[in-house]
Amino acid sequence: MGFLLTTLVFVVIGIVASLCARICCNKGPSANLLHLTLVITATVCCWMMWAIVYLAQMNPLIVPILSESE
Amino acid sequence: MSTLSDTYKDPINLEVLRRRQRMRQKMAKHGGGCIPPMDLFRSEAMHLVQLIVPIESAHLTVSYLGDIGLIQFKDLNAEKSPFQRTYASQIKRCGEMTRKLRFFNDQMSKAGITRSSKSVARADMHLEDLEAKLGELEAELIEVNANNEKLQHGYSELTEYKLVLQKAGEFFKDAQISASARQKEISPDLPAESLATPLLKDHESSHDLSKQVRLGFVTGLVPKEKAMAFERIIFRATRGNVLLRQVALEEAVVDPTSGQKVQKNIFVVFFSGERLKSKIVKISEAFAVNRYPFTEDMGKQTQMITEVSGRLSELKMTIEAGLQHRGTLLRRIGEQYEQWNQVVHKEKSIYHILNMLSIDVTKKCLVAEGWSPKYATKKIQNALQQAAIDSSSQVGTIFRVLHTKKLPPTYFRTNKFTESFQAIVDAYGVAKYQEANPGVFTVVTFPFLFAVMFGDWGHGICLLLATLYIISKEKKFSGQKLGDIMEMAFGGRYVILLMSIFSIYTGLIYNEFFSVPFALFGPSAYACRDASCSDSTTVGLVKVRDTYPFGVDPSWHGTRSELPFLNSLKMKMSILLGVAQMNLGIMLSFFNALFQFIPQMIFLNGLFGYLSLLIVAKWYTGSKADLYHIMIYMFLSPTDDLGENQLFENQKTVQLVLLLLSLIAVPWMLLPKPYILKARHKTRHQDESYALLDDNDDSLHGEADRDSDDQEFEFSEVFVHQLIHTIEFVLGAVSNTASYLRLWALSLAHSELSAVFYEKVLLLAWGYNNVIILIVGIIVFIFATAGVLLVMETLSAFLHALRLHWVEFQNKFYEGDGYKFRPFSFALLNNEDESS
Repeated sequence: MGFLLTTLVFVVIGIVASLCARICCNKGPSANLLHLTLVITATVCCWMMWAIVYLAQMNPLIVPILSESE
Repeated sequence: MSTLSDTYKDPINLEVLRRRQRMRQKMAKHGGGCIPPMDLFRSEAMHLVQLIVPIESAHLTVSYLGDIGLIQFKDLNAEKSPFQRTYASQIKRCGEMTRKLRFFNDQMSKAGITRSSKSVARADMHLEDLEAKLGELEAELIEVNANNEKLQHGYSELTEYKLVLQKAGEFFKDAQISASARQKEISPDLPAESLATPLLKDHESSHDLSKQVRLGFVTGLVPKEKAMAFERIIFRATRGNVLLRQVALEEAVVDPTSGQKVQKNIFVVFFSGERLKSKIVKISEAFAVNRYPFTEDMGKQTQMITEVSGRLSELKMTIEAGLQHRGTLLRRIGEQYEQWNQVVHKEKSIYHILNMLSIDVTKKCLVAEGWSPKYATKKIQNALQQAAIDSSSQVGTIFRVLHTKKLPPTYFRTNKFTESFQAIVDAYGVAKYQEANPGVFTVVTFPFLFAVMFGDWGHGICLLLATLYIISKEKKFSGQKLGDIMEMAFGGRYVILLMSIFSIYTGLIYNEFFSVPFALFGPSAYACRDASCSDSTTVGLVKVRDTYPFGVDPSWHGTRSELPFLNSLKMKMSILLGVAQMNLGIMLSFFNALFQFIPQMIFLNGLFGYLSLLIVAKWYTGSKADLYHIMIYMFLSPTDDLGENQLFENQKTVQLVLLLLSLIAVPWMLLPKPYILKARHKTRHQDESYALLDDNDDSLHGEADRDSDDQEFEFSEVFVHQLIHTIEFVLGAVSNTASYLRLWALSLAHSELSAVFYEKVLLLAWGYNNVIILIVGIIVFIFATAGVLLVMETLSAFLHALRLHWVEFQNKFYEGDGYKFRPFSFALLNNEDESS
């Protein structure tokens, strides 16, 4: 459940960021498309990285084994 | 199939053909889908323009066009040598003026006068006035310099003479004193005024002994280094029949001939006879010794000294007046130097451009050809009009668009933010005209991949602060001239800004703050199995709560199983990110050329996309399947049973299907393209013969330089090219995917270095409980972090992210064999000037 929820959070952040970009720098349709592409790419990259790290820890095959404290 | 003449006569058919040709051109440009236009994705649309300029407004027109800076002029006089061109004499004049300005610059720096960077902006001066002014200033300056030199020469000679008079005078005075003392010893009743040189033991003859023995002497100055050699040679040449006395001068004297300060000795040589005199004189000349006359008479000596002193002080005043005059002259020049420099430079560039235009037979107008972006047409036409009005010519300039098949230059309209990212792409190769520009995605993926390798939010914050500082001082730095390294850092400030922001993000995910983890997003998911934590070092902790919500669990740091876990995570992450980026690359190739992306997608995704799927499936289900085993045996024995390596149902069938599809994809990549290109070429040629006929009256020059590369079509060449491309793709699929593992390697190196510095420097220093050791430890930690991690690791990660983009991402679709648009613009010229 945590996975889907956080994915949704990423999607919302992405939409908010694109809206901000549209509001702040509205310089015509071609420039807007560029900004949208950049924001979406950034969101997808960030989400992918988070998702990979999260998935890897969901069902761990190895666990932390503490080292001897000296 | 209608004949040529039939089709030519039929207007409707012609229209259809034209429309079909245009559609084909559009398809070729935009690939398949007609996506809406996006800034920066493709280079600006350019067209070849022809300007016919009347001669009287030529200079002004070029000047205004240079101000706008949006036309790249073509050299229409390429066959002519520089001397045959129309405006060669003007350029020579500009060259002369540049030389004069450089001379002034030298003189000013020698005199230590700095030129003001922003000169007083006077009204526009004409070239002829400036030339005259520079000429007279130069003559004046040369004259002042020559006079100054002459005076200096005289001054130093007189100084030397004065020294000789003083020191040699001392010789003789000492001699007289000791002579008179000895005289008194030996014969006390001899009159005191009969003095002989003390160097003679023969004091029988009382009066002027020198006259009797004809003793002569030579006085002068010899440079200190040569003094011993001088003495030796004189001794040898004269067989020891001379006496040489030398006294070293404490201060260095300015040598009149060389103008440098040299350490010298004053010497007196006593000899007898004319032959010895000539020998000594010759030797002195050989050693470049300055000889000065000297009288024995005491009275005359003092008189000479006062005379010389008087002349010296006069000369000094004259010299100072001269220097002052020169100083004011140079200062006056210095005020105006920058402006003059700019004017000359500008004029020179204008004449260079004018030389590129071809002159009409009637000598009444010049013809210019150049590339310019389509959006600048209005601006250019306005400038042409303005120039025509300002130069009060009767005819305006004619502006025409030419049709040509030549490849236009590539021009991206970048702002200061996207400029540096585009420069990264251009460094590999300038995009072909209107091909898909990887720069769009590079803006995000480059800093992102950097951050994957850099991942530490402490270091990210340091980088961010440094970059914010540079950006805040942007205006100041852009005016200054910075050193090489600072120049590069300043140019890439927005790249580094994004890099640092993404580094903070990946640092939070890797949970490393100078290698220390924090539980910022909730409690760690792991805890001891029982309350005593007895087997935490043998079997380890156990997962008691939900997965740590954001990033790597903080419990991992410092454990024995940290590295196996992180290595597995980071390697798989590298593969996943790599496959994603390569897919993006293949999809971009869709926008360049339709059909080749489908078999490439099938091949790459059939093998490595499947691997990515397996990775995710293994994580999701937590199975213990061995992925290496699965992938290898998928090729070696695809029909075998998977046994415990089964991750999902029907896995064997799926693998077989994928294998088959990949095998089919290879000939699919190889064969269709050459045949389709051949068919296209045939049809294009059929239409082209029509196009030739009705374009004839449009372009004057377009025909002459029609490219012949689409006339010839060697099928074997295209086939071999495609074969190479296919092999490269197939082999590259494996090697490029493995290449992405550098993301893992560098991030491991970074975190290990950071951990070492933290544990072995800071914690060690903390353990001693001594303030001094702690301070030393902190200083070492700061320097090590800044030097190794912030500088070296940044450069290293930058380089590897660059390589991943240039090779693994761009070789999927990028051709990069265009040429850059270099317009004639005064602003660009100034930048080049400053950097040279």
